[in-house]
Amino acid sequence: MTFKPVISRRQLLQWSGLSGASLLLGGCATSLFSEQVGQAFEPLNQNLQALLLSQKPVPEFPTSAIEPNKLLINTFDTTPQIDPLQFRLQIQGEVNHPMQLSLADLQTMPLTSMVIRHVCVEGWAAIVQWGGVRLQDLIHLAQPKSNVRYVYFKSADGYYESWDLASAVHPQTLMVYQKNGAPLSIENGAPLRLASPVKLGYKQSKWVTQITLLSQLMPMKGYWEDQGYEWFGGL
Amino acid sequence: MTSSVTAKRPKSPPVPTQAILAKTFHWVNILSLLVMLTSGLQIYNANPVFGGRGGWHFPDFLLLGGWLGGGRNWHFAAMWFYSLNLLFYGLYILISHRWKKRFASSSDLKALQVSQNVKRKNYALHRLIYTIIIPVLLLAILSGLAMYKPVQFHWLAGLFGSWQTLRTIHFITVPIVILFTVVHSLLALTVGSTRLVKSMFL
Repeated sequence: MTFKPVISRRQLLQWSGLSGASLLLGGCATSLFSEQVGQAFEPLNQNLQALLLSQKPVPEFPTSAIEPNKLLINTFDTTPQIDPLQFRLQIQGEVNHPMQLSLADLQTMPLTSMVIRHVCVEGWAAIVQWGGVRLQDLIHLAQPKSNVRYVYFKSADGYYESWDLASAVHPQTLMVYQKNGAPLSIENGAPLRLASPVKLGYKQSKWVTQITLLSQLMPMKGYWEDQGYEWFGGL
Repeated sequence: MTSSVTAKRPKSPPVPTQAILAKTFHWVNILSLLVMLTSGLQIYNANPVFGGRGGWHFPDFLLLGGWLGGGRNWHFAAMWFYSLNLLFYGLYILISHRWKKRFASSSDLKALQVSQNVKRKNYALHRLIYTIIIPVLLLAILSGLAMYKPVQFHWLAGLFGSWQTLRTIHFITVPIVILFTVVHSLLALTVGSTRLVKSMFL
């Protein structure tokens, strides 16, 4: 055998030591700079996402594709108990016609049903049927002023979110009270929650009690956004 | 040991050189992939592809970003460098006609099957391995794009079948790339020793 090692053992040990050290250093500095990197690239990524967003309906799945066990329950704090009879949805802000709607009011409006994929920021996804009222119909009723560009959602558990107007008036962005053909459960956001195929799960607030239309983005953009998630969260 | 081998050679082969654009691609690819891999594992840990929340998690020293949000920040920043680098490299090898000479061809495949020359066979294998990784690098982008924008690219996401399959395929590119790095390095050293490796890095 005339096998000739292409690198000496010493060299190999030196190199593996160096790469090991860099990995360790990387491990220590994990969250270092990640906020800055996010801030540097969020505008570019957001422009790309806004550019890709279209008002055309997203192709839906057949009801046979629904995955009832895959929709995990995520809550940032508590699960509020809301009396459906006492429940009121407030629509306010820079609108000509602020209003309060009961669940009965919402249920007399046209019902839209969709079977879409719900995608969580964590990486999992579930095909879900949602039934409810188009948010664009509600916004239309409230008659927003022409300078309105953002929609805020306040939830009974203290969760808060803000959306761009284009995503909010997408024909499949709904305020839903049905899931998989049954009334929405409390864990899933009853009596009323947001559901849309064009946003990640953390944008889809549960237990929504207040919708505010605004021309400016407020400093508090959303519960998870204020922890460091990107604001647009588009799909 | 080394001197006895070189002494037998009539003359030493020419020092290998690499085009500056090939070296640039190689560097940007390595560095951006390192960020993609480590931030990708950070994202993986938020909900492991295998076993969900109860599944096995990668240890902290392999992760970049500190938490899911940080991992996503790095991942969706490095994706620009990684994918545009591959795009520019693709244009470069097309325009320069490098793809005709620098990648595995039918003669390499033939050499692997019938050649008695070990050096020729190693060389053919080296070319074959680094040719095969190109579609894998593309697959990482396509499966990633299908997960990043499953609505706008629903036709692409549909090609991968279920969401779990899509996630699995995207993840599988990680062990493939790591395995490739090891095999590619060893083959480069076998084919051209440290001189070839140096020519690609320096």
